[in-house]
Amino acid sequence: MAAFDATARRGLLLVSPTFVYVLLLLAAPLATVFAFSFWTQDFLSIDYTVTLKNYQEAFSDPIYRTLLGRSLLIAGAVTTVTVILAFPIAYFVSFHVAPERKALWIFLITIPFWTSYLLRVFLWKVILGFNGVLNSSLIGVGLIDEPITLILYNANAVVITLAHAFAPFTILPIYVALERVDRSLLEAAQDLGETRVSTFFRVTLPLAMPGVIAAVLIVFIPTIGDYVTPRLVGGPDGLMIANMIQTQFLKLNNAPMGATLAVLSMCAVTLVSLVFLMLNRRYLKTS
Amino acid sequence: MIGLTNVEKYYGDYHALRGITANIPEGEFFSLLGPSGCGKTTLLRAIAGFEHLSGGSLTIDGQDMSRIAPHRRPTNMVFQSYAIFPHLSVAENVGFGLRKRKDINRDARQRMVDEALDMVGLSGYGSRRAHALSGGQRQRVALARALILKPKVLLLDEPLSALDKKMREQMQAELRRLQRQIGITFVLVTHDQEEALIMSDRIAVMFDGQIAQMDAPQTLYRRPSTRRVAEFIGVMNFLPAARVGDEMFDVAGLGKAFIDRSQVMNGAGTDCVAGLRPETLSILFDGSDVPDHSFEGTITDRAYYGDMTYYDVVITPGTAPVTISMKNRAGRPILEPNTKATVAWDPRSLIIFGA
Amino acid sequence: MKGGWLRIYAIVYLIFLYLPVALLPIFAFNDGTIIAFPLQGFTAKWFLELAAIQALHSALWNSLFIALVTATLSTLLAIGAARASTRYKFPGKAPIMGAIMLPLVLPEIIVAVALLVVLLQLGIGLTSWTVIAGHTLICTPFAIAILSSSFQGLDASVEEAAIDLGETRWGAFRTITLPLVAPGIISAFLIAFTISLDEFIIAFFLTGAEPTLPVYLWSQLRFPTRIPAVMALGTLLLLASLIILSIAEYARRRGIARTGGKDSGGFL
Ligand SMILES: Nc1ncnc2c1ncn2[C@@H]1O[C@H](COP(=O)(O)OP(=O)(O)O)[C@@H](O)[C@H]1O
Ligand SMILES: [Mg+2]
Repeated sequence: MAAFDATARRGLLLVSPTFVYVLLLLAAPLATVFAFSFWTQDFLSIDYTVTLKNYQEAFSDPIYRTLLGRSLLIAGAVTTVTVILAFPIAYFVSFHVAPERKALWIFLITIPFWTSYLLRVFLWKVILGFNGVLNSSLIGVGLIDEPITLILYNANAVVITLAHAFAPFTILPIYVALERVDRSLLEAAQDLGETRVSTFFRVTLPLAMPGVIAAVLIVFIPTIGDYVTPRLVGGPDGLMIANMIQTQFLKLNNAPMGATLAVLSMCAVTLVSLVFLMLNRRYLKTS
Repeated sequence: MIGLTNVEKYYGDYHALRGITANIPEGEFFSLLGPSGCGKTTLLRAIAGFEHLSGGSLTIDGQDMSRIAPHRRPTNMVFQSYAIFPHLSVAENVGFGLRKRKDINRDARQRMVDEALDMVGLSGYGSRRAHALSGGQRQRVALARALILKPKVLLLDEPLSALDKKMREQMQAELRRLQRQIGITFVLVTHDQEEALIMSDRIAVMFDGQIAQMDAPQTLYRRPSTRRVAEFIGVMNFLPAARVGDEMFDVAGLGKAFIDRSQVMNGAGTDCVAGLRPETLSILFDGSDVPDHSFEGTITDRAYYGDMTYYDVVITPGTAPVTISMKNRAGRPILEPNTKATVAWDPRSLIIFGA
Repeated sequence: MKGGWLRIYAIVYLIFLYLPVALLPIFAFNDGTIIAFPLQGFTAKWFLELAAIQALHSALWNSLFIALVTATLSTLLAIGAARASTRYKFPGKAPIMGAIMLPLVLPEIIVAVALLVVLLQLGIGLTSWTVIAGHTLICTPFAIAILSSSFQGLDASVEEAAIDLGETRWGAFRTITLPLVAPGIISAFLIAFTISLDEFIIAFFLTGAEPTLPVYLWSQLRFPTRIPAVMALGTLLLLASLIILSIAEYARRRGIARTGGKDSGGFL
């Protein structure tokens, strides 16, 4: 038992600075936010009586519901679009690119993301705008006469921009999962009479699911908390809950309401993620 | 030299070593042999100091080791994975342990490294990068790196298991030669019984964290103390037997015979089991005399190995066959299944175990 | 041809990925204040203008300082945590590591408001150090992820061999483990540095009187006349990122070459 204690002590000692840091700068603040959500703002000071008033307001005022609902919807759409667009690329690099060139492809895929995030979002505004790159090129080519307005200052623009922003974060986990698929399993499936298409759906895809699931969570969770993209390209119909949280904290100076919305979004994210994981638990068990 | 007394080791609830007691004298080539997971590595690492004992004591050269850190023990280890430092050259690997020694200057160190490399047949490889070596060469570097520190005990954890068959046989001979030459104690862990038999002065056979038998190779092979040891080392046929007199046993299919006390293992009661090695049985070919002890049987199967042929022979229809190995000699035919055969056996090579 | 359609799709997808990035240098050298086609002709004046904006310089230095301190802190914290998680068993390991990695799956705005609330409650003023505190929190899990795979790839018996040959535990770590995971440490440091440099949401909430570069950029995006200069700045930042990335990749390759491992995939 002495050995166990010695290594345990050494491990705890090594991890403790990081853990203490997280306790002080994450756990304690999150607990504070949670507490705040039960307090109220009384002009410049905080009223510390515990009440559910904020939650009542959050559920009754349609604007909060709309924003939270829209955030979940947009995040869901962004996730779906991003993963569906990214999967073929991951598949292509893993299965159709020569091994010695795979690193190059991954490199090519990640390079655009070393540009400032803000600028990338802004550039999408430039591309999608009324006089933007897309419209002016399409008019120039003669495909359209009038600029398309469907693609800026609405939810579509948010989806396109975020699908772009999260591209490498989806491609990489799916690619890693596909790389782990034992190629002889695919040959075995075909040897047992599956076609290439049915092999994909019955063997490749299920085995790659852990990567897909990781990709989904990697996109979905931060998307809820994004407020740059909605602000820059979303227009009034594209605003999301994070914009409201920011407004409550920084503009309206109503931290308790902001805290309540933060807690509610966290709950929503956790709930959706857990349901998603539950639905896919059979794919995660084997590994 | 190495004294192990009632050594116990727990991993949480798992009882990995159960009361190991053994004395390994100076200069002995000692092997720990047993199936995977029986605790060989754990015991070796306990001697090296990488595992704390949960109970019992360990002494080396009469000195208690419980408070001695691994880097201060007079032991050195050749790891199963060789654990060559990948970022250092061969010479830097071999000289690694000498850097701590203030009494050895650069020149002396260089000379010692050269000598050590020479000893393992790697002269001129000093400047090579460690990762550019073959398995056998890594093995030699690991050996030189440990031996250069002149340990009292060299510990080797399955050092040859990663090598191909030819290389392994060559290294077995070389390790044996090296051990004789420098005369220190070697403790070798292996799951390969043949390797243990070839190399060791003495072998401890381990099962489930315990030593089942500790003896010289011949004794171990010819007088295994339990059926399990007998089965683990080589091949043995088991036949039901009964004690019918003081030293008289009746073996199923073979008949009665006098068996010397030395061949009767502890725990053999009235009902017991007789063990016979395949090479102690021999099929009589036409023209040879029928000796005192023989039986008739039917060949049911045969496996041709080039130098040897293994036959399965059923004595009484409906019972399990016995395996017989025959050397393939000039003029000796390879018998086909379904032929009858007369088989000679010798009571002196038979062992009686408890049922 | 095998994967023919997929290859076409991949190329179209790459164009999609590079579209915004490609515009960056185009507009940076475009002689017009409006960011739209058709282009107006070539100029380098936006780059010269950059040199004159004082606020930009201080934002840049501020960001570099924050990124440097953040990267150092998170790498140090990550070395301990990654080693503890890959080498040792200790009670409460799963929840402890879970808590440390939590910022990876927490929307950044939550981290930002949580820290802001506490700082305001405690009456601590917002400075570069508050940004560093927030950035260290989100960069550490990334650094841990990178370092864990470095520590994992290390044969545990290599360190034991050093101890066996007479090194102390610390000596073995210093002479054997550290050099072998050095490429991982460099990668972790550079990743943390880059994340911090580019991070906007937390910085926006926690920055004090001195904005970071992204916060400054955000404020400039509202002024159309400033946009071309911002494009020029973006171009320079991209170049800087690519140089950092190349260094990281070089360090990784060298690490692999030195230990004779197989090159398994690219950076990250
Ligand atoms: N660090 C450890 N923690 C828990 N169990 C262990 C540890 N090391 C070894 N064991 C267990 O102890 C038993 C003996 O292991 P080992 O000594 O490595 O066997 P072997 O004879 O194959 O070398 C095995 O069942 C193994 O699973
Ligand atoms: Mg072992």
